[in-house]
Amino acid sequence: MKWLVWLYPGSWRARYGDEFAAVLDSQRASVGLVLDLIGGAIDAHLHPQVLPSQSNQFMKPNQGEDTMTVAMLERCAAGGPKLSPGERRFASTLGILIALAMASLYLVLTKIFRQGPAVQAVIYASVLFTSSIRVQMSYLRNRSRTAQVLILGAELAVIYLFMLGACLIATKL
Amino acid sequence: MMRKNEENTDLAEFGQFSEPALLILVSLADEPRHGYSMTEDIEVVAGVRLGPGTLYGALARLEARGFIEPLKSDDRRNPYRLTALGERALRARLNSMMAVAQTGRRRLASA
Repeated sequence: MKWLVWLYPGSWRARYGDEFAAVLDSQRASVGLVLDLIGGAIDAHLHPQVLPSQSNQFMKPNQGEDTMTVAMLERCAAGGPKLSPGERRFASTLGILIALAMASLYLVLTKIFRQGPAVQAVIYASVLFTSSIRVQMSYLRNRSRTAQVLILGAELAVIYLFMLGACLIATKL
Repeated sequence: MMRKNEENTDLAEFGQFSEPALLILVSLADEPRHGYSMTEDIEVVAGVRLGPGTLYGALARLEARGFIEPLKSDDRRNPYRLTALGERALRARLNSMMAVAQTGRRRLASA
């Protein structure tokens, strides 16, 4: 269930991630837990209590420091071009909806097929995909919504097939 | 209109997290605790098991408002303690609840 932590904003994870993971370790996986975590992630995106500057002092310019250098570092940091608040909200909502769909799919597939390679691949693919959704959206920001959906859908399919191959190989070893 | 720097200790502003926030403050009233310890304590005291998402949603609000503060720890399980402001917020809410409870009991007795 730890992969659901990636649904939370980066600044939130930087502040609470470790201790949150420690609490999660003590929980039994259940549908209720998944819903609680998804609800918490939606709340953390909609009502952020942790500002990025509180969790990342490196990027916080002090008065008199070279703010241009800091701005360049922010621009060049992993994550690509900065998203507007509206684009961030869209990316976060999309990530949460995809994670919700993948978690539901995983639970349904587990009920039907138990823990086969195809089911395992769903969880691995969704972790990889949802954790990088905001970065991907930053590079697709100038594309139309249709193009964004098609590109992301194709990417998800490729990641799933790759993970399925890896899981099949792992079962043969 | 609220004066600048005036303390606001009203937990009702926490919305759906007001009850978990109250339970957390009660849990921290006697000693600092980390997240897991709070969950266990709240379950014993109130019979409610808070999920991690709910617990940390309320914790983040309480910390942002200065009602609780983290203590330094080498462990990844970070303990929190009540601040003076948090203590006042807890007292105010408990007094308000007690007044409602006393009124309810009095009315039931006279019914």
